[in-house]
Parts: sequence; structure tokens; C-alpha cells
Amino acid sequence: MRIKALLGHREVGVAVALVVVYVVFMSMKKEFLSAGTLGDIVTVAAELGTVAVGVSFLMIAGEMDLSVGSNFALTCMLLAMFITRFSWNPYLAFVVVLACAAGIGALNGLVTLSARIPSFITTLGAMMFWRGVALYLTQGWPISVFADVPLLRWLGGAKVYHTFHISAVWWLIIGAVFWVTLQKTAYGNWVFATGGKRAAARALGVPDTRVKLVNFILAGVMAGLAGCLQLGRMGSMSPVWGQDLPLEAIAAAVVGGNSLNGGVGSILGAMLGAVTMASIRIGLVMVGAPAYWYMAFVGFIVVAAVALNVRLGEVISWHR
Amino acid sequence: MAPVMRDSVAPNHAEQGTAPLMEGICLCKRFGKVTALEGVDIVIRRGEVTGLVGDNGAGKSTLIKILTGVYRPDEGELRFEGQRVEFASPKDARRLGIETVYQDLALIENMSIARNFFLGAEPQRKVGILNLLDVRKMRLVTEEALKDIGIAVRSANDEVSVLSGGERQAIAIGRTMHFGGKLLILDEPTSALSVHETNKVLTYIDEVRKRGLAVIFITHNLYHVYPVADRIVVLEHGRKVGDFAKDEISVDELVQIVSYGAQRVARSARQQ
Repeated sequence: MRIKALLGHREVGVAVALVVVYVVFMSMKKEFLSAGTLGDIVTVAAELGTVAVGVSFLMIAGEMDLSVGSNFALTCMLLAMFITRFSWNPYLAFVVVLACAAGIGALNGLVTLSARIPSFITTLGAMMFWRGVALYLTQGWPISVFADVPLLRWLGGAKVYHTFHISAVWWLIIGAVFWVTLQKTAYGNWVFATGGKRAAARALGVPDTRVKLVNFILAGVMAGLAGCLQLGRMGSMSPVWGQDLPLEAIAAAVVGGNSLNGGVGSILGAMLGAVTMASIRIGLVMVGAPAYWYMAFVGFIVVAAVALNVRLGEVISWHR
Repeated sequence: MAPVMRDSVAPNHAEQGTAPLMEGICLCKRFGKVTALEGVDIVIRRGEVTGLVGDNGAGKSTLIKILTGVYRPDEGELRFEGQRVEFASPKDARRLGIETVYQDLALIENMSIARNFFLGAEPQRKVGILNLLDVRKMRLVTEEALKDIGIAVRSANDEVSVLSGGERQAIAIGRTMHFGGKLLILDEPTSALSVHETNKVLTYIDEVRKRGLAVIFITHNLYHVYPVADRIVVLEHGRKVGDFAKDEISVDELVQIVSYGAQRVARSARQQ
């Protein structure tokens, strides 16, 4: 009974995948299991994971956001520009760029909901549009922040322990807030209902359109925030970064038990999905494999973990 | 947003059980040149199941949409508990306790029974500065409320997807009763169910009537509605062609009226 209850959780597939990834890399290189490596993994996972949390929350409400990578790059680039070229107060700049990220999310939502077109299309267009804007504003050049800006240290530059960057702490806090909102509040119940069966939710008085719009905005803010975390950690940015980010975030979400059709999903699963993908990235570097294998590996894990999730789901419902 | 209440017309016997809960008087609805409903009167009483039958296009769903505030009638008036009412939206009707259970819109499969039960009316408790779902209360109240009308579920935390069609209908009905519905409108509640499941749903409807709610049961299938109905209203081409207390008419006579048309049945009766 206990075991069955445990297997019924959506996070089982990704937990198994994570263990497999760990065992494989550990058997190839002992040092993979160390605090230092874990710190590297969590640091990489924090940025991807922040995007994945926002994308998952939106996916559960039944919508998609492909523009998170462009939003990530544009926000991060604007923050760097405001601080270096315009010498703005960094804190003011941070608030302004997050508002821009929210605006991009809101625009995705407004267009999708008022034109009644699939968010896949809207955000595909937005992905291209905002990438173009980011490239134009920088003329394709990277921007570096050489000055010591306390805000950037606070966002991701500082290390809290060993190789653990502070960005991981922000990510865990964000994850906890989203998890509580989804699982433990009335709003979370509306998110599930809106993605599960929109007409039924509406018939019971759930403000489905507002729920979707809010989640579009949150996905945008999380993408922008992830960009800021990365700028904090790296001190520089390039307008071409984050091209694979939307698909990576969606991959982390579906590996973690989120459905592309909406209505079901898990924030914890998406976070574990991000950790799994970061583990692959760091692991490949450690064993000296060409980094090109990253995408191939992730592709394999996505299909295997989702297949496992589906199979487990069937087993559980048969044994009821 | 509150429904507009006008000059109360027949208030004095409103408290009695026999007083109508809801009345539609001479309701008309046209869509362009098409007349969907013409001069239909309907009286809904507490503790009664009213069967609403008729072929496709007879005007059943137009009538229901007027009663639930989806459409406004072009002519005629609605009275609820003796007061004239006008609904600007379905919300107004729901506020008065008029609840509709649609066959495929009742519940969300991927959510637990308890989460479905309280959807849109979630109980909350304060934890520090946060308003969190009262998950425990949701589960306990759901199980209690369902047991109360004779529905056994294993756990209110089970997903709705493991339930049968009849159980889903039952839960939607239980939800309406729990939240103080006065008029329960069931749209084809039995059309996709097995015989056994249908019988179960009929017993739940019987239970709802015993609690003093009014029920409107819309169906194509007279054999489903006849056993539980107190009155049966027959619509045809937007007009009311029959309104019978159950003991006035047999199920076979009703079948004749619905399948061959009221006029032809009346004519053949005269000829005999």
C-alpha cells in the first residue's frame, strides 16, 4: 500500500531517471559523487529550473511558452545595458527588466487569449520577435559587466558554500512558493481545473481566462529572472544565449511529469527534471565526452522518463 | 450584478410546500426568423421531479437556457419563489440556487474528487499570513456529503478518472445539494450510462427530491424519466404540447406523443 502510494506520484519517473544518470556517471568517474560536483549541477539547474518552474505552471493551465529563451536573453541583456551603458541604479534596473519580462509574458497571454490562437503559435512568433530585438539592440555583440555590482553578486555571483552559488537558493525559494501555490491554494486548484477542462472550470465560476493570463505573466517573469541570475553568475551575456532554453524547459517539465495537454503536473518534478538535465551536462564534461552529446542524452532521457511515467500510471490504476 | 427583483406578485403562499419554486410564464425566444420557443408556461415545484422531454429541436435546451440565465426571453417572465426575476447572466441564476449539471462538463477527470467538489468554492484556513486550502476539511466534508446521499467512494482523494459515469453524475449532484442548490437541472444525465448505472443515478435523483429540492430532468428517453418524474412536460417545435402529472398518463401514451407528435395522437384518439 505504501509502495503503491509512492509509485503513484508523478515524480517517480524523473527520480528514477536522475538515479540512473548518477549511477552511470559515477561508474565512469568516482568524483561525480561529490559536494563540489553537486554544487556545479545545482548552479546550472537553478537557471534552467527557474524557467522550467514558470513554464510548468503555465503548462498545467493548458498553455505553452516557446518565447522564454528570447525573454531570458533580452531581459538579461537589458539589465547589463542599463547597468553599464546607461549607468542606472542596478536595483531600479532589475525591477524595470523584470517588468519588461512580465510584459512579454502578458503580451503572449493577451494575444493568445484574445485572438484565440494556440499559444504554441503566439509564442513561436514571440520567440523570433524578441530574439530579433535582442540582436538588434546589441548588434549581435556580447555585453560584459566588469564593475563589481552588489546586485549581481546577490543574484548569482556569490557562493554560499563550496561551489554552490546563491542563485540556487533563490531557485529553491521560488520552487517552494510555486509548489505551495499549486498544491495548497485555491488558485492552484483553479490552475489545474483551467488546464484540465476549461469549460467545466468556467461553468463552476473559475476565472479561467484570468488564470491563464496570470500564468503567462509568471512564465515571462521567471524566464527574465533566470536571465538575471545568469548575468549575476557570469557577469556577461550574449544575445544568442538561451536558444535551446524553451525546449530544455519543456523537456524538464515533461520529464518531471507535466503533461503537454495541461491539467496535470508537478513543480517538484520539473525541478528534478532540471537537476537531471544539469547532471547530464556536468557529467559529460567530467567524463571528457564532447559536450555535443548533451542534447542526444537529454533526448533519450525525455522519452524514457515519460514512457516510464505512463507505464507506472497504468500499473497504478489497474491495481486500484 | 444582483438579479433584478420587481413587484412581487404572488407572495402569500410562498412558504408552503406546494407553492411553485420557479415559474416561467408565456416564454418566447426567437433567433432571427426562427422561433425556438413560443408561449411556453412551466411550473417547477419543490420536492418534485419535472421531466422535460421532446425531440431534438423541440426547444428543451432553449427553455433551460432561459431558466438558467444563459438567454433572456424575448417575451414572458420568470418568477422565482414568487418574485419576478431577470437574469443578466448564469451567475445571477446560480446565486438563487439554480444549478445545472451537464453530462460532460460536470467534473474534471485529472483532479481528485475533493478538489472537484469544492472547485470555485474552496475552503481556506489562515496559516500565518497565507490563505491555504483546507485540504483535510475538503476531504472530510466531501466524503460526508457523498455518504449522506448514498454515494460510497473509497477516498475523496481519488482521481475522478477512476470513477464510472454514474458515480461522476452522482458526485456532481451531491455537490449541488451541498452548496445549497434549490433547483437542480440535469441535462441528459443518463444518456451515456449502462442500465445498472442509470438505475443508480435515478435513486440519487429520488434522494434529491426527498430533500425538498426541485429537479428538472431533461432527456430523450421517457423510460428513464418516467419512473422518477412527478410531472412530465412535452415540448414540440418550440411549443408545450403536454404537461401531465404522472398518474394522468401512461408511459406508452407519452411515447406516442413524443414520437408521433401531439396533434396526430389527438386526432387518432378522436377518430377512435
